[in-house]
Amino acid sequence: MKIALLCVFLLPGNKASATDDVDESNPSQELQSEAAEEASQAVPTALEKLLETLEYRGNVSLELTGFLASADHVADQSFSSSLSGEVELYFPLSSGNSSIVATPFARLDQHDAERTHFDFREFLYQRNSDNWEFRIGLGKIFWGVAESRNPVDIINQRDAVEGFTVDEKLGQPLLQFSWFKDLGSIDFFVLPGFREQTFAGVDGRPRFSTPISQNALYESDSEDRHIDFALRYSTAIEEWDLGFSAFRGTARDPLLLPIFGTSFTDVSLQPFYYQISQIGFDAQATLESWLLKFEWIHQQADVIANHTESVIGFEYSFFGIAESDADLGVIAEYLHDNRGEASTQPFQNDLLVGFRLALNDEASTEALLGSFIDLDTDAIIVTLEANRRIGNSFKVSLEAVSYLNTANDPGLNQLRNEDYLQAEIAWFF
Amino acid sequence: MGLNMPIFNDQRRKLLTLLLAAPALFAIAPAYAQSAEEKGLEIAKEMDRRNEGFVDTTSNMKMILRNRAGKESLREMRSMVLEVQGDGDKSLTVFNQPKDVKGTASLTFSHATTADEQWLYLPALKRVKRISSKNKSGPFMGSEFAFEDISSQEVDKYTYKFLREEDLDGRATFVIESVPTYSNSGYTRLINWVDKNEYYPVKTEFYDRKNSLLKTLEQKGYQQYLGKYWRASEMFMQNQQTGKSTTLLWEDFKFQTGLSEKDFNSKALTRFR
Repeated sequence: MKIALLCVFLLPGNKASATDDVDESNPSQELQSEAAEEASQAVPTALEKLLETLEYRGNVSLELTGFLASADHVADQSFSSSLSGEVELYFPLSSGNSSIVATPFARLDQHDAERTHFDFREFLYQRNSDNWEFRIGLGKIFWGVAESRNPVDIINQRDAVEGFTVDEKLGQPLLQFSWFKDLGSIDFFVLPGFREQTFAGVDGRPRFSTPISQNALYESDSEDRHIDFALRYSTAIEEWDLGFSAFRGTARDPLLLPIFGTSFTDVSLQPFYYQISQIGFDAQATLESWLLKFEWIHQQADVIANHTESVIGFEYSFFGIAESDADLGVIAEYLHDNRGEASTQPFQNDLLVGFRLALNDEASTEALLGSFIDLDTDAIIVTLEANRRIGNSFKVSLEAVSYLNTANDPGLNQLRNEDYLQAEIAWFF
Repeated sequence: MGLNMPIFNDQRRKLLTLLLAAPALFAIAPAYAQSAEEKGLEIAKEMDRRNEGFVDTTSNMKMILRNRAGKESLREMRSMVLEVQGDGDKSLTVFNQPKDVKGTASLTFSHATTADEQWLYLPALKRVKRISSKNKSGPFMGSEFAFEDISSQEVDKYTYKFLREEDLDGRATFVIESVPTYSNSGYTRLINWVDKNEYYPVKTEFYDRKNSLLKTLEQKGYQQYLGKYWRASEMFMQNQQTGKSTTLLWEDFKFQTGLSEKDFNSKALTRFR
């Protein structure tokens, strides 16, 4: 979308034109204004060009959250509100094959100082030709096929403070070179710099009852300046979409180490980021109504056991159910970690069962009901998400999350009183 | 785990071809007795032949959805299509309206005999998702156009039967019935009115699975490009059962813009604006 109108107000060139009104009886003032006009001419044309070609899209969103029980921790508010905004600014550059994209994001949270945050999701210079693409800056990359969890997706850190059901990510410093042919594409990444995972602060909900320290530890002496490398080959062969990946560098998910303060009950968790080498594989077969999905990684590290993590599952769609326009998708995925109980991530032997309903109406009404079931502890996380569009620019969403049967699951048991109901209204532009 | 958008696909010229073709029967009665089926097929092949060689097109499309009460909502998208000889076309489409799906794009490799291949790009997640192309009869973005109405049209997707010649509002037309041969169609048959001189479709009736009249499509504002290819600038689809309707407006048709296979892969999908 062009924003020529905006330029009228922003451009120095237009300011200069205001000097036409200058009193002609004052020659020095006139001279000054002429000089100003001349000087401003060069700048405005460049800026004008840039602004005229600017494309943007974004949203502003108000989120209201209600908690159904009192918390086990100090942040025992039963209600919370939050405002967020994001805009993607896209500037095509003169050659047509290069561009700059910047996507600032900001959130204000009523209670949680950690959730009140700003980030550039992207700030990239990119250049491409028919067979290659080069990008440098802050970027966001997605790898994987599964719905429940994407073990192969390693480039970006998660912006976990954004919520359990969203896959928000922090902009990752990167240098990417991609080369693609009919046989598929190869992406090579140098990742100079590391982003720590965000966590809810002491005043935030939902969160674990044990607070998480904001002071992280690192295995590498370079800490968050460690340079990581990643490589991926992806291709589509008939009904198969395949990806092979490798990564060497800092693990995105930290170990959380208990640290004790002055008393035995004064305990918090300190994130510890360790070094890993990882290879990954992801595949999806698209067979009529069936989507068959598989993700697998093997990870090696000095500080934790070498292990594999995997997700295998399907989504089956019933189209036009009950002679309506609506589609119903049934999702089932099994999540495994061969370390079992010793796993450092929560989905070691879990099942996701989900139902996705799309009414395919004018408002694009959709709902997704999902349950993660831990097959070792029987703990269950139930999520319900639903949304529909209002008019051409608004969207309302509802979300509910409940933690059930957590007694045998020490980790999830910390969330047993954190069930919540959330409503969101977003304006898109 | 995030919600997806509804699956969608689209193709531009397909809308056209969709409506089948009709060829012309060089009006004079053939010397031998041609069956209605042979004559119908001949017309379809002639329509297809007349659309061959367009190489590629780009265009903008506006969709105005109207519910029974007359309340309107808008869809706006841009697309490009690459003709593939001997197979279905390749196409890229990106949404501009409604705003919440702005930047969402789809890539489709359509095929004459096997299932179409289709990918969706979700810009908020930077995620490219392969999606099922089985859903032929579902509505495209909540409109009165079904996916099968706007997918790449191939002669082999239907069997044909010539019904009659008819004067339609002063225009000489062939009237042809076509029956989908692919599975999962929402239609038992289509009746097409095809311009007798230029072989483009001007009106189509769609009959549902119970063989009741479901929708009527009118195509207007035909313009000729490159001295050869006819494209409608307005398509009006009226649902006869629900009273809802959708108007499709095409703008900015460009032909032979120099696109190639390299503009139709998953990288191009993430860049398309």
